[in-house]
Amino acid sequence: MDSPTSTKTDLFTRFQQRLSAVGGETHRVASLEAAASFIAAHPALATGELVIPPIGNGETALPPWGTLLPALRDRGIIIHRAESAASVADAPAGLSCAELAIAETGSVLLADNSLAARVVSMLTLTHFVIVSEHKLVPLLDEAGRLLQQLTKTGPDQRHYISFVTGPSRTADIERTLTIGVQGPKALCVLVVQDWEEAH
Amino acid sequence: MTIGDTPLQQAVTEELANPTDEHQPFEERLEHALEDENMHRALERFAPSWRASRQAVFATEEADYGRDYSFAQMRSQLHKAKDYAIEHQEELLAQFKANAQAAGAIIYEARTAEDVNRYIYELCKRKGIDLVVKSKTMVSEETELNYYLEERGIKPVETDLGEWVAQLAHQRPSHMVMPIIHMTREQVGAILSENLGREISRENVAEQVAVIRVEHRKSFLNAGMGISGANALIAEGGTVMMVTNEGNGRLVTSLPPVHVVLAGYDKLIGTFAEAMTQLRLLARSATAQSITSYTTFITGPATPDKEMHIVLVDNGRSAMRADPRFKEALRCIRCAACANVCPPYQQVGGHAFGYIYSGAIGLVVTPFHHGIDAGAGPQSLCVSCNACETVCPVEIPLPSLILDVRHRTMEAKGLPWIKKLIFGLMARPRLFGLFTRLASIGQLPLTWGSKYIRSRSFGVLSKLPVMSTLAELARWRSLPAFAARPLRDRVKTAQEPDTKPTMTVVYFAGCMTDRLYPEMGEAVIKVLEACGVRVTYPRSQNCCGLPALNSGDRRDGMAMGQQTIATLERALQENKADYIISGSTSCVATIIQDYLRLFEDLKQHDWLRRAQALAEKTIDFTHFMDSVVLANRASLPLRTDYAPSTDIVTYHDSCQSCNCLGLREQARRIIRDGLGLELREMPQSDVCCGFGGSTSLEHPEVAERLLNNKLKNAESTGATVIVADNPGCLMHLRGGVDAGKRHVRVLHLAQLIAERV
Repeated sequence: MDSPTSTKTDLFTRFQQRLSAVGGETHRVASLEAAASFIAAHPALATGELVIPPIGNGETALPPWGTLLPALRDRGIIIHRAESAASVADAPAGLSCAELAIAETGSVLLADNSLAARVVSMLTLTHFVIVSEHKLVPLLDEAGRLLQQLTKTGPDQRHYISFVTGPSRTADIERTLTIGVQGPKALCVLVVQDWEEAH
Repeated sequence: MTIGDTPLQQAVTEELANPTDEHQPFEERLEHALEDENMHRALERFAPSWRASRQAVFATEEADYGRDYSFAQMRSQLHKAKDYAIEHQEELLAQFKANAQAAGAIIYEARTAEDVNRYIYELCKRKGIDLVVKSKTMVSEETELNYYLEERGIKPVETDLGEWVAQLAHQRPSHMVMPIIHMTREQVGAILSENLGREISRENVAEQVAVIRVEHRKSFLNAGMGISGANALIAEGGTVMMVTNEGNGRLVTSLPPVHVVLAGYDKLIGTFAEAMTQLRLLARSATAQSITSYTTFITGPATPDKEMHIVLVDNGRSAMRADPRFKEALRCIRCAACANVCPPYQQVGGHAFGYIYSGAIGLVVTPFHHGIDAGAGPQSLCVSCNACETVCPVEIPLPSLILDVRHRTMEAKGLPWIKKLIFGLMARPRLFGLFTRLASIGQLPLTWGSKYIRSRSFGVLSKLPVMSTLAELARWRSLPAFAARPLRDRVKTAQEPDTKPTMTVVYFAGCMTDRLYPEMGEAVIKVLEACGVRVTYPRSQNCCGLPALNSGDRRDGMAMGQQTIATLERALQENKADYIISGSTSCVATIIQDYLRLFEDLKQHDWLRRAQALAEKTIDFTHFMDSVVLANRASLPLRTDYAPSTDIVTYHDSCQSCNCLGLREQARRIIRDGLGLELREMPQSDVCCGFGGSTSLEHPEVAERLLNNKLKNAESTGATVIVADNPGCLMHLRGGVDAGKRHVRVLHLAQLIAERV
């Protein structure tokens, strides 16, 4: 029987295989601080700027932002909260937080209702996604169960959920694969091993 | 800004001179498609690579996750889920509506295409919207929404890259997943240059894509409405599921203040779990991806300032649902696998092979959405190879539904006189016999006693009306001559083997073997006898009816079916035979599959029962040799002086053999292990040779290309013999080899064995 650690490793390896097969980048990092270091040092942040969702003041103290934002600022990164589509369009780098990562397909599940939060994943040039390793699951079937919960009628209902699997792509012209049509030209997913949950 | 009267301008005008439009008559669309070298070269390149990647992705998933995630298992699951949704549409619809409305969506149910278009137009007018961005929606193609809006001063912009280029060129998508697979990069560059008023690269695809990104960004930010399609309407969430690769779908549904979803009722599905199965099958079938880049689940408007309308479209779907056969087509998830695998589609593309909806499913649904006239031409292109059914992720019986469409077309329009004459003749065994005997003499001026009618034999005769058609047909494929002595004259009613018989079989030759290739029949009998099988040949056998049934002529087809059943029943009984054997896999597929469907449809329950009983006893020569004869004896009774010859064999998988009867390894085992011959696989061995029954007469250009591909593939192996187990293919292949003066023998598997026993 596999130990939980090696199972997690297998899952991550599968996730990485699938995502890199479609041109996405992914790394397993130990902590949110490590994630912040990684992002700050990434070539996409050459300008030192990063767009994040328009999180409320209540959230800035909670994980992951409570740890991420100070760590990023410590590394000289200027943080912008997304406002409108036009303001985010072609920003060099954006960061979102995923609710699930699916090893079977190499996908992350994003579920923000706010438009400004969503455009971070739609219009920035390099899109970073962080996801807790606890939320890395083997199969789409788990994603189906989460969708069932998230779409339940009520105040917490998520109206707009996306599986994102790699950067935007097309092969419409002579079946020549071209990355970055409408959406981001690069996707980088950081799977964070040690991430204390807010709840 | 205009470019002026420059060479560039001229080039652009020439390149755009032939836009394809479904409103052109079918014949024009077909002619244009046949002239389009680029298109069929692109499709021919795409098909084999798609097949290989698709197979690989399903195989990998099965290897990694087990049998539950195999193609076979998943498609049976999705088949059930979609059937449930079709059966319980009212219930699922109520659930979907309640959930979507609770989440804030507005639902409109449209009965006709006009209803859809008017609703959207009025919504635009009410809100003062004059720019609409669209992500892929086949339903809007179906209702011709763009045209409707443009006429009324509203600008719709397609944001799927291929759809946009097609829109700029005033064309329609030729493929459901890859809308401009028919265009080259040079053409795309020309279209972009012409429309943007500046020179865009004709070579660099990345540059073309970058231009499109910039152009569309403006539209996304300024449009008042986004229109999208839906891949599923998930009842338990009231959720619209949508997949895209480019990311345009999420922008269309997010940025403009109003989002309109267009979806047929057939998109309803019960649960998220079922939707996950659909996702797996959709991406893997369509593009051999594990999943598309973006999969979106929208449940009502996401923000208070957003409006979401869901337009549910009938437009012929309830008529399909009311039809016990055609309701199966409502399972379709629009993956286009049936187009990708279709041999004639590869030759003519989606503008001719379909009408808005293309591929096999297009032939099936067109009469319901656009009328029987719109579907009449395209359906004639189907070669009945059954390849589509093998890849359909929801197990739609596409080939038989296409035949149903063909039948209905014939009912409405009548059979061409030549077919009426031929099938009427074939359904009258004595007259047919007399005719073929007379023809075997009458053909002498053309055959010169050979086994072929060759184009050069026509001489001055080719100036005559009917003769000129025949001469043209024989140009690329010599036509077969009627045998001077048909098989029925050559065999004794019952053949006693030398040794004590182990079993008795009734031999059903099929009319082609009987009248054209009696030597194939003799080979079957010789091999069976050598294996200790007593063979009886009922002389009253005639045609099984396949040519008529495949042409939509059920009256004559049924008559021939009943004759065949009665003859074979009697022969089984009189001879106490164990099996009915045929060396024609097409005839076997007709007897064991098509009859059942025919008599079920005609509600002839007594004939259905008899057909079922007969089907249990009927087996093709190849299966019989592999699983009955060779299972009971150590080896083939090869000649004592037999030494493996220098023959190198390549095997052509006849469509009915592999797609209907599941033959793959059997003939190969016999050739390799049983006969000890070298077998070399040709590329695309299981792609139709182009015979396709009467399609090769109706669309000779298509048949000729498929035949040339097949012979080229066979020759590339260096084989000296092409072997198949279906006389139709053999006739087509032999004719091609003779007309092209190629140096390869074409044999029935039985002939290959007979030479050695």
